[in-house]
Parts: sequence; structure tokens; C-alpha cells
Amino acid sequence: MKNRLKVLRAMRDWSQAELAGRLDVSRQAVNAIETGKHDPSLPLAFRIARLFDMPIEEIFDDEA
Amino acid sequence: MTKPDSDDFAMESSEGAVLLKRAGLGIGGGIALIFTGGIIAGYTSGALECGGPDLVDGAIIAAMVLLAALVAFVNWRFWPQGEDEPLSPRVRSARRLLLVAMVLGLPLGFLLGVTDEGTGTLLSNAPVSAGIAAIAIALWVIVGPVITWLWWQKIDEHEAGAYREGALVAAHAYIFITPIWWMASRAGWLPPLEPMLVLLAVSVLWSIVWFVRRYF
Repeated sequence: MKNRLKVLRAMRDWSQAELAGRLDVSRQAVNAIETGKHDPSLPLAFRIARLFDMPIEEIFDDEA
Repeated sequence: MTKPDSDDFAMESSEGAVLLKRAGLGIGGGIALIFTGGIIAGYTSGALECGGPDLVDGAIIAAMVLLAALVAFVNWRFWPQGEDEPLSPRVRSARRLLLVAMVLGLPLGFLLGVTDEGTGTLLSNAPVSAGIAAIAIALWVIVGPVITWLWWQKIDEHEAGAYREGALVAAHAYIFITPIWWMASRAGWLPPLEPMLVLLAVSVLWSIVWFVRRYF
């Protein structure tokens, strides 16, 4: 599944480690999500959406 | 502009190089430490069989312990530094639990090596004393699942997925290796089934899959 996590993170000038800390996951998890190697669970997707204050479907794209 | 990250190409290769150096040093240093530990255990075991270590034995054992400490120090001193990343409390707890598991496992391995009355190999089937067996079983049955459960609670979903995938591959390897070896040994093609060897192989496979899925 494609996502805009890297772009959204860049807009806030956060490193992967910083984002990982805010989501309480490891940096490897953030990297795997950004590169499309790992699709986050629904609870984590909601946490990401809440952190960026956006609807889930604006961050993750299952059409791609 | 994002802050430097390992997802950028330059940083990724740099992190990969650091990871490779760590793997090389970790494996090399680990083998050196296990080898030195084995020599210490073997020598101590031999000295015990001959009526206990005397002064010369003590000096030799102390020198070998110093050598092991030196190997550990060199490993620590030359450990490649990567990106200095902050760790979330959850990740820090998970790493701490892995360290606890190692701290508990190393003395047990050393104890088994020292008290082994057989071939001195890591997976010996030689008899052990009731005390050693009780300690080993207690650690395996009581402490092992507790640490594993606590660690499982602390890891994030990405690592849990890598761990599950490793478990799946390991389980399949187990259900293929065991009956094939068992049947082949009954036909006289292979020596009798060594369950601990199968356990070791399956555990290594599990770890490899977990590591690859987690870091690559």
C-alpha cells in the first residue's frame, strides 16, 4: 500500500526516529511503512492519522 | 527538507555499511568469545576432574578470562557507531529484555560446558548432575517464557510480524526436517535423530528470517 508518510514527515522536519518516538514504534517500523514493506495495522494507521491530523485515506492509498 | 535519515540513499548505504561492520565484528567477536569460553570451560572441567584447579591452573584460567575480557573490550571499543537515534521507551525495554536473556543464557552455557562429562561439544548428550539439570530446566521453563512474553509485549507490530514470519518458516522447517531425518535414520542412511541439533537449526533459521524481515 502506498502512503504519504515520508512527505508528511518532511513537511514537519521530523526524522524517522522522531516520528517513531511519537508513534511509540521503532525507527525500522517507520522505515518499513514509508517504503511500503509493511502495511500498518488499523490501530497504528489511526495513530498516524491522529498525529498528522488527517483522515486515514489522505495518508494511505490502497488504489495504487 | 527532512532531517538526515537512513531512508536517503547516501545514509542508507552508510547505515548498511555500519550494519555490515557490526555484523562482522559481532559474529567474529562472538565466535572468538564462544571459542575462548569453550577453552575456559574445557580447561576448568579438566582441572576439576583431576582433583580441582591448583595454583598454576588458576593462573592459566585467570589468563584466559583476561583474554576473553580483552576480546570483549576490543569488540566494544571498535564497535562502529551509526546514526545516534533516540529510542522510544517501548524499544528500549525490548532491547533491555534481550540483554537480560543473554545475561541469563551465557552463565548457563558456561556452567553446562564446565560440568559436561562427555565430548565437550555444545550439544552433548552426556549425563549431567541433577542440580545442573534442575537449574537449566527452571531457566528454560520459568524464566524463558516470562522474558519472551514480556519482550513480546514490548515489541512493535513490525517486529512482531518479522518474528511471526520467522516462526512460520521455522515451524515448517521443523515438520520437514524431523520426520525426514527420523525415517532416514531408521533406514540406516543417517545417524540417530539429534533433537537438539534440529532445535538449533530451526532456531537459527527463525533468527535469520526475523533479522532479514526486520532490518532489510
